[in-house]
Amino acid sequence: MKLSLLKEIIELKSQKKEFAIITDISKGNSEIYIKNKELSSAFKNNLAEISNHFNEKKNGVIENTNIFIETYILPIKVIIVGAVHIAQYLVEFAKSLNFEISIIDPRGYFASEQRFPDIKIINKWPDQAFKEIETNSSSALIALTHDPKIDDPALQYALKKKFYYIGALGSKKTHENRCKRLKEAGFTETEIQLIHAPIGIKLGGKSAPEIALSIIAQLLSETYKK
Amino acid sequence: MKNSFDEKILEEASDWINANQKVVLATVIQTWGSSPRPIGSRMIINDKGDFSGSVSGGCVESAVIRESIELLKKNQLFKKIEFKVSNESAWEIGLACGGEIAVFLEKINQ
Repeated sequence: MKLSLLKEIIELKSQKKEFAIITDISKGNSEIYIKNKELSSAFKNNLAEISNHFNEKKNGVIENTNIFIETYILPIKVIIVGAVHIAQYLVEFAKSLNFEISIIDPRGYFASEQRFPDIKIINKWPDQAFKEIETNSSSALIALTHDPKIDDPALQYALKKKFYYIGALGSKKTHENRCKRLKEAGFTETEIQLIHAPIGIKLGGKSAPEIALSIIAQLLSETYKK
Repeated sequence: MKNSFDEKILEEASDWINANQKVVLATVIQTWGSSPRPIGSRMIINDKGDFSGSVSGGCVESAVIRESIELLKKNQLFKKIEFKVSNESAWEIGLACGGEIAVFLEKINQ
């Protein structure tokens, strides 16, 4: 690989752009594929297969060719509501996984930069905060305040936007009450059942890092089901 | 998950080059059966045999280092190597798990 290409890759990564590296393993030459960008003559004939692999986010040697493709797909957006102790551990775990975390908490004393260095923190109520984050059905929500005033609007937003993962902290009792409120707000039984609550897979732990681990494990497992 | 934007192996390769080292980039390009690391897993190796990252669970790294040093010595640009299971010496260069992998070695050149 040419050093100039390596530098280009590093630059694209830092700009958080989606791309793929394509390499002819019989000749050793490689270049970058970006959607709707023309390829050099070395790869032009295989454009269709290359873009198919890219769209399917697949890595590997393309069948019947000598082309190896490696796709760089943007991290999954995970929105945490509640800048609480568990959130601090979630941020730590998410660092080594392909998740990009934003935190919403209207309570300034929780959502301080000192507690969450290098994380996007939105110090507003969910209704306002979501205007600052682009989300879609590939986004995830983790609601941790178990305060209806803060969690409920976020959960409603995530249900409407069809987030692929929605989890809410709180006991069974808390969740029963939550379900009632959501029903009154007009959500159907099926929609409400999409919420993972009590959040996390059963690991047995109760400390903040243990709960964070059980949440991140559930999130990862749901991510692979997508 | 694969290809996290946070994975810093390529950045590390660039740092090594800035420190005037010769660097080989090793990438898992194919896997068959059970393999310890997915396609796209990376490792970098310099001419002294220092390395970072991984292409298996420790099964074939030593062979990848050897091959990489040789690549640099012979001044070759790239090479594809395959590792298959070998029961006798699985602990030495094969994959004890029974899988097979192909690793692409390439020198990062100016």
